[in-house]
Amino acid sequence: MITDALLPIIWFGIICTELALYAILDGANLGVGMLSLFPQPENKRSLIIHTLGPIWNANETWLLVAAGSLFGAFPSVYSIMLNALYVPGMIIVVGLILRAVSFEFYDIGDGSKVLWGKSFGFGSLLTVLGQGMLFGGILSGIPIAAGRFAGDPFTWATPLTLLITVGFFFAYAVVGYAYLVKRTDYQLTHETFPRIAFTAALTLVALLAATFVLPKTNYIFFERWSTPPSSTILLVVAVLIACAIALLTYATIKRKNSGLIYYLSLAIFALGYLGMLVGTYPYMLPPSLTLFDAASPASTLRFMLYGIGPLLPVIFAYNWYLAHVFRKESKQEGSSMYA
Amino acid sequence: MLEQILMLSRVQFASTAAFHIIFPMMSIGISLYLFIMESMWLYTKKDSYYRQLRFWMKIFMLSFAIGVASGFPMAFQFGTNWSGFANSAGPFFGNIIGFETTIAFTMETTFLGIFIFGWKRVPKLVHLASNFLVLFAASLSAFWIVAANSWMQLPEGVHMEAGKVIVDNYYAAIFNHDTIVSYLHMWFACVEATIFLLGGVAAWGILRHRENANFRAFFTSTLKYLTVVALVVTTLQFYIGDVSGQTVARFQPEKLAAYELHWNTNLPGEGAALHLLAWPNSTGDGNAFEVSIPNLLSILSTRTMTGTVPGLNTFAPSDRPTIAESVTVFYSFRVMFAIGILLFLLMAVSLYYLYRGKLAPDHILSRSKFLYAWVWSIPLGFIAAEAGWMVREIGRQPWMIYHMLRVSESASVGLNALVVGIVLGAVVLLYLALLSIFVFFVRKITLKGPDLTSPIH
Repeated sequence: MITDALLPIIWFGIICTELALYAILDGANLGVGMLSLFPQPENKRSLIIHTLGPIWNANETWLLVAAGSLFGAFPSVYSIMLNALYVPGMIIVVGLILRAVSFEFYDIGDGSKVLWGKSFGFGSLLTVLGQGMLFGGILSGIPIAAGRFAGDPFTWATPLTLLITVGFFFAYAVVGYAYLVKRTDYQLTHETFPRIAFTAALTLVALLAATFVLPKTNYIFFERWSTPPSSTILLVVAVLIACAIALLTYATIKRKNSGLIYYLSLAIFALGYLGMLVGTYPYMLPPSLTLFDAASPASTLRFMLYGIGPLLPVIFAYNWYLAHVFRKESKQEGSSMYA
Repeated sequence: MLEQILMLSRVQFASTAAFHIIFPMMSIGISLYLFIMESMWLYTKKDSYYRQLRFWMKIFMLSFAIGVASGFPMAFQFGTNWSGFANSAGPFFGNIIGFETTIAFTMETTFLGIFIFGWKRVPKLVHLASNFLVLFAASLSAFWIVAANSWMQLPEGVHMEAGKVIVDNYYAAIFNHDTIVSYLHMWFACVEATIFLLGGVAAWGILRHRENANFRAFFTSTLKYLTVVALVVTTLQFYIGDVSGQTVARFQPEKLAAYELHWNTNLPGEGAALHLLAWPNSTGDGNAFEVSIPNLLSILSTRTMTGTVPGLNTFAPSDRPTIAESVTVFYSFRVMFAIGILLFLLMAVSLYYLYRGKLAPDHILSRSKFLYAWVWSIPLGFIAAEAGWMVREIGRQPWMIYHMLRVSESASVGLNALVVGIVLGAVVLLYLALLSIFVFFVRKITLKGPDLTSPIH
């Protein structure tokens, strides 16, 4: 039997899983979108964009699913977070809008392909930067008084946020490159592998720098690093990340096994995410709002769980079916319904 | 400053919602049309249905993309601009929004991927099933959104405790007295607006491709099929609208009084009149002029000649819509109703032509006034829906959640009017651009005409 006390933790777990799925599934799409901004022949760009055709929308859905779950299960987090992070939130919204429409317009607009290609890339870039600012803003700490946000529209803009945003940018670039290498013949020959190594190194630098700034800004994280058992877990995570990076470097130097490169870059993503969770649990909005303070009444959490819980496997199943139907794709051409 | 931010936030929500709603409406309406076409194709094996399906799918994809894109701000705005509301109502409202994204939206996007890109990859029946699931999921999505909004109109099954909503009875909250009728009203509005959008585009296509007999035949078929659907929809909508009006009369008397500009409760034994036209006087407690039909308001609201209908003056001014808001909803309501009648008449004429065999490629060109009537009806269904939503939302003022939470208590804090203003400006510009691009592409697709030669999958 699920007790009332357990419900917030279960929902916290579900939302973290949804966010992780989002990061893994849409991370590559966003990275690829950003990369499409770099100068290249239009047929290459077209290949890049069409690779994402059937899947990007379903992938992106996980962000909305996570947002919806958060709104219902932890309304205070949802409301205070978006209130405090109004600017990053709106940057993400504009990015998502641009990305969503450009995708369709790219196919129909014969004369305006270049414009929509750019706006697709630009939308992806805005979404990535907005996400960096959002996470940076949360980790920098959100002042709360009497249950409401107690800062100004730019409280989130800290040095830590800058570092995390830069780190996000390079991290998405790594996953984007790795995805292209795995799924298409995109620049497979010489250029891409060094780029993977280069962007991975920059990611590491930015996020390491952020790790050093973090304890100054966010006291909870410092405490987690210095007291067991969380310090042990964090250490293990750090070692795993180091191993993954070493393997990734090796694979990129050897220039083979493109599948491994992709999964390694995802693993680094996931591990970094796990590290952040361990570093801040049970705080959802450091330094003061925990998941227990923020949770909806047990009656809501239970109803949502019974409403959504049984459906999650079904959603996984049809997402898997979608991925399965489109698994063999685009070594050469992509899908276009307008072609 | 706070007043400014509140007003900017209201304008932002109203404009994003008004723009967004157009496209999900099309998604529901067009996917219904596509489902009928695909079913008919598989059932009769006639190519012409397949051609209909493939052509109108292009418009569907456009509307879907803009619908998804313009929907992002909707969910986020509850947090960014209305965090007071999000915090209070989250335990029910957020839960329902969560259901919408998790249960409905994921289903829609997944099966849309298969529907659009899966032509050669999945069996025909799986494809048809995907088409159906897109329609089903879009309709389900609309259900959750309308349920959440209906609950803001009639917050049943909950109570407030320390500023937070606690749900006592989920069934009562989700299926409150407003949900079903409002949902049906909206669903039929989606289909009705889309019928005249597609039909108008088809009529324009006929006028633009006068010399091309194949295209003419194609677009004439579209008009024929739509006329049959319109017969059902435009008629039923009057009945559902009437039930909806009675629901308002019963549960939100201030709103009814506002959109009828009905100031004084009718005395016992006297019927309340329905004003066709009216304008409030300068003191704001009655009408300066009115054109009325005696007893009709009593009949419509209570089904008796002299049933009591409470007037605006019986409610405290701070607890009901302001005068400006009342005038706005009065005329919005009349716009909605007038359009309902116009569309019904156009359907009736089309049906007559269909019955007389005039809706045929050879005869249709001699009916250019009729075709132009369809073209001009393109925006009407959407305007009616916008007007209806204005009645619903402005008529609920000053409440965010009816008799539970005021709009003024719902806004975010610590925002800066300049920042909010800039975001509002950017979003409005972006949306105007999207609407222009949509019109441009629909025009382009129609000028190019349907592909009638590619091999059939």
